[in-house]
Amino acid sequence: MDLEFSEEQRLVRDMTRAVLAEHCPLEVVRRMEDDPTGYPAGLWKQIGELGLAGMLIPEAHGGSAQSLLDAALVYEELGRALAPTPHFVSCVLAARILLEAGNEEQRSEWLARIGSGEAILTPAWLEPDRSDGPSGVALAARPDGGDFVLSGTKRHVPFARAADRLIVLARTPAGIDLFLVDPNAPGVRLAQQLTLGSDCQYRVDLREVRVPASARIGAPGTGWETWSAALRAGIVLLAAQAIGGAERALEITVEYAKTRKQFDKPLGAFQSLAHYMADASTRIEGGRTLVYEAAWNHAQGRSIAKLAPMVKLFACETYRDCTRVCQQIWGGVGFTIEYDIQLFFRRAEQLHLSWWSPASLEELIAAQDLDA
Amino acid sequence: MDFDLTPDEQAFSDEVDAWLAENHDPAVMDPTRENFAQLVDTPERRAFMKKLAAKGWLGMTWPKEYGGQETHGIYEFILNEALSRVGAPQIGKGVGIIGKTLIRHGSEKQKREFLPKILAAEVEFALGYSEPQAGSDAANMQLKAVKVDGGWVLNGQKIWTTSAHFADWYWVGARTDPEKPKHDGISLFLIPMDNPGLEIQSMPTIAKDTTNQVFFTDVFVPDDYLVGERGRGFQYISEALDLERFTLYTLSPVAERTRLLIEYVRSASRDGVPLRKDPRIRARIARISTDTAVAQALSKRFVCAAKDVHGKPPTAEASQYKLFSTELGQRVCREALDVMGAAGQLREGQDEAPLRGRFEHAYRATAIDTLGGGSSEVQKNIIARRHLGLPKNF
Repeated sequence: MDLEFSEEQRLVRDMTRAVLAEHCPLEVVRRMEDDPTGYPAGLWKQIGELGLAGMLIPEAHGGSAQSLLDAALVYEELGRALAPTPHFVSCVLAARILLEAGNEEQRSEWLARIGSGEAILTPAWLEPDRSDGPSGVALAARPDGGDFVLSGTKRHVPFARAADRLIVLARTPAGIDLFLVDPNAPGVRLAQQLTLGSDCQYRVDLREVRVPASARIGAPGTGWETWSAALRAGIVLLAAQAIGGAERALEITVEYAKTRKQFDKPLGAFQSLAHYMADASTRIEGGRTLVYEAAWNHAQGRSIAKLAPMVKLFACETYRDCTRVCQQIWGGVGFTIEYDIQLFFRRAEQLHLSWWSPASLEELIAAQDLDA
Repeated sequence: MDFDLTPDEQAFSDEVDAWLAENHDPAVMDPTRENFAQLVDTPERRAFMKKLAAKGWLGMTWPKEYGGQETHGIYEFILNEALSRVGAPQIGKGVGIIGKTLIRHGSEKQKREFLPKILAAEVEFALGYSEPQAGSDAANMQLKAVKVDGGWVLNGQKIWTTSAHFADWYWVGARTDPEKPKHDGISLFLIPMDNPGLEIQSMPTIAKDTTNQVFFTDVFVPDDYLVGERGRGFQYISEALDLERFTLYTLSPVAERTRLLIEYVRSASRDGVPLRKDPRIRARIARISTDTAVAQALSKRFVCAAKDVHGKPPTAEASQYKLFSTELGQRVCREALDVMGAAGQLREGQDEAPLRGRFEHAYRATAIDTLGGGSSEVQKNIIARRHLGLPKNF
């Protein structure tokens, strides 16, 4: 057993941190809030040029085929910086879906461009008043001639305006299928949804949108399997992102607690506040180690069916709870837009709610413990 | 990075498991004693420890010149986790706290007298730190040691000496220099437990095991049995406490409780409906299972940080592990009783009690886990000061 990173892994982490410090300081994060494109062009270009966009893509498609563990280090840094990028939806989820289920044509059309950052693909998954399980996918894809005609509404579609293609989860006679849909195609209407974390999400209404059969990814009826496998690996990275955010929020709060005085003492000298921070730090370190364990197991080719939902649930809840006590320690100023802690506080809860809700994650874990 | 044991570590772990299966003995192995199962308090348990000694499993991390093998700390971790999983006594105070402190700070005479006996499992120790006025504030100990010709005379009282009624030697902190600041006035002594000036009084606990208080009346200790330097006792105690958190609070009992709870939920039903179909119970299991995995991760982090026995003590890692895992160990009991409902209250050993009352007793027995070896609040103070760099807060 050895929990040290390799020299190479440390270099990737340091490089990512340096790039984010230069191209994504908090002024940039603030400028991107509620932005209809949702990510800074300069940062995205850097992510592409440095090979981070292609890190999970095979060398045959121009990527560097790194492991989920390597990616977890990058995601911790993205989380620390609150970096708004389509990396997760495009370079993780879409790339994985195409790799696992895409045909040769789809792969060669998209993977290299995803890996360079030139193309952005994003999943269109959730629907109004429907669950985040397979039964929640109701948007209909009706076979018509050789084509499919899609009608229905999706919500929480990240970066839809900037995307080259949506990957739409739809209900077909075969079950659930995935379709590549151009967001600029006739019948597609995008409406930005403002969120707790001020990120970039869209409601997508599809009205009789016609796509060719070649837009389907994978064999008929395998869409949910493909999608849930991609998301299961992906949420490990979101957990890493949450840990990075929690760590940074705690760091700035600890610094503040050392200098801000009340009753002639630094805030950190009050045991009630010090214990909040000690608890948060314990949960962050535990969550971080478990995230690495999940990512490492995935890199070894082992199942993470239980570990993945565990780390997402624990890390995002840790982030949420940590930023809640951080708000408390900052006091009134933390309630103002001017101070940075609120940026973490709002994003933490948003991440906790997104990409499988806490209740769905609990059920995924319980199924492994009680039904397997 | 590698979360698996190395081939050598794995081979050792397999060897220990196989050996424990071969030597299975209900008289020695009783996981229902929870954390008290680590004590070497019966003749059968002493005989068991001698068998461990014969395997060469005591003092593995010690320097070779003292009969050790200079292995990494992970071997002791593997051994203790395996022992505690089956409720067998563990290598604890002797090899860990006392042996390692004597190796670092003891006199040649003390090393010659005690180290071979520790390696051969021929001596059991009791720890005497706590006093009625020195609980979490351990440096406040008042047991008085007065210098006399050729030695010291000790008067006062210790409390929570769980091993007093079966140990051979007493490892005691006493105030030798009352005029100095409280952390600098304490020295460590070794005293035979049968010294006529020691009076042991049992204090029954809410668990099925007992603890003791010990009264000192003119207990004479020769100079040779003061450990290390006079006045450095508290520093030695603190240094060894990092090791105690490692050896005295293993994770296996917590993980076993979680496993038992899951097994119970998988098999039990109410009104003919399996418990595992109840969404509320499923959510609870998911949480407990997740937190158990996190505790395991914290323990791995701790053991990796402790691997180098000569390196910097993994203080923050130890505190974070101890804090999280002992709090969780109690929570598993609460969750289990909640899931069982009214039947959960039936006393251990009663036929109708779910799991024969394992959790009824564990609920009581684990109450001490967030207190002993430094309370949860003390751990948080340590994390706040030494890990986060926050100012002293008490």
